[in-house]
Order: sequence, then C-alpha cells, then structure tokens
Amino acid sequence: MSSGLIGSGPDGVLDGIPEGVPRHNGELVFAEPWEGRAFGLAAAYVDATGVGWAAFRAHLVAAIADLPTGTPYYEAWVEALERLVAAPA
Amino acid sequence: MTDAGHHASEPSPIERRVAALESLLVERGLITSDVVDAVVETYERDVGPLNGARVVARAWTDPAYRARLLADGTRAIGELGFGGAEGEHLVALENTPTVHNLVVCTLCSCYPWPVLGLPPVWYKSFAYRARAVREPRAVMAEFGTVVPDDVDVRVWDSSAEVRYMVLPLRPPGTDDLGEDALVPLVTRDHMIGVVR
Repeated sequence: MSSGLIGSGPDGVLDGIPEGVPRHNGELVFAEPWEGRAFGLAAAYVDATGVGWAAFRAHLVAAIADLPTGTPYYEAWVEALERLVAAPA
Repeated sequence: MTDAGHHASEPSPIERRVAALESLLVERGLITSDVVDAVVETYERDVGPLNGARVVARAWTDPAYRARLLADGTRAIGELGFGGAEGEHLVALENTPTVHNLVVCTLCSCYPWPVLGLPPVWYKSFAYRARAVREPRAVMAEFGTVVPDDVDVRVWDSSAEVRYMVLPLRPPGTDDLGEDALVPLVTRDHMIGVVR
C-alpha cells in the first residue's frame, strides 16, 4: 500500500521534507506556511463576500495560463486572489 | 498561524505579498485572521482523503448505499456528514472489471475537497494536467499502475461545475472485511484514479 499512501507523485513531492511534519493520509497539505495562509485567505474572502468559488476559479485559470510554466501553484493562487480583490464588484 | 511570518531571515517576496493581502482584507473588514486560522487548521487536520475512503468502504459493504452514491454523490456523502465547498455537484465514477476512470482538471485544480481534501502538488502540475488526457496510460504507469489493454480507460475533466471521485474496485480477498477494516485500503490515488 505504500505507493499510494506516500503520495508518490512523478515529481517526488515529499522529497527532502523532514519526517515528523504532519501529513494527512500520507499527504503534506501545505509545503510552507504562506501557502496555507494564501488558501485560507481565499476561502475566507469567498465566504465573507459571497462572490463564489466560480469567480475565484476563473481568475485562477487565467493566472495559471498567464504565469510562466513551472510557477509554484500557490503563487498563481495569490495572483488570482489579488485579481479577484481588485476586480470591480 | 498568525505568527507564521516571524522568520529569522527576511520574509520572501511571496510571503510579503500574502501578508499584504491579508492586511488589506482585514482593514477592509472583510475577513479576520482568526477565520483564516480556522480554515487552514480545518484543511490541515480534519478534511482529507480519509473522508473519501469512508465513502468508498461504505459503498463496498452496503449495496444500497453504493446505488445512492452513484445516483447522487453529493447527497450520499452528505449522509456521512461530508459536504461543503467544491462538493456541491459530486459524481462518483464506478470502476468495473472493464472500465477504469481517471480524474484530472485540465484548466486549474478543481477537486472534490469534502472527500479528498486539497489536491496533491502533482495534480496541480502542468505535466499532469496536460498528459492525463493525452496519454493516461503512460501517466498511470508512472504511479506503478498498469491497466490491461482490454480495460477501457476513461478520463474525466473536472473543469465544469462537476467534481469527480473514483469508486475503485474492491480488492480481491477482502470479502471477510468490514467497513472499518476496508477504510485503510483506500488511498487518495485510488480515488483520483492514478492507482487501480
């Protein structure tokens, strides 16, 4: 079962991460605190404003397309949230 | 988590951007840092693939539940207390001896959070998003999964409103196991479909 439980991705996402870091069912959720913060900010903003995840997702799709391939995923997430916040209501 | 920015060294540019964004939203009265803390903690601790594993184990042991899950995924996971953001239109895809399902989001990272938690890094990668559709068998092979040629591989793109999870085949030799004993046999990768 280990291949499935250890989140064995093609890019070896758990390489180099020290043992003892909390994982959920084998998966490290956030690689760095700012990633969790960025996720939490978006979730809180979407919930508080009622803008809806679909609106956020549209910005996320655009941000991923606009940023260079290989840009860390949560950087695109931050970019998307900045655009959503800046967009006219 | 509010002291996450306290580093011995200078914060990185991305850390500064996130902190600035948080300050802006707090100043506007839209969010509080306590709410952000709670969201992060929930996803780090409480929401994850174990939820989905419970759903699968229930479906393996309760034919009536299995039928309800395949008919209306959102309602069926709700029976087990799971639901919320990104779970509003959940469809469970049934693997059979002749069909294997694989889930991807080609445009971004759509994923059924209530049952699988947040997606792994590789699911969000450009390589996976591009290749899962083009060469699914090659992608699965990198996870050690070889699907026989006479099994039909179906790839599902989550980029519409619908979120998918795979209902894997029950492993052979587990007829004597109950639901609780089956839960640990179900992994996130089974429910995405990169493992059969």
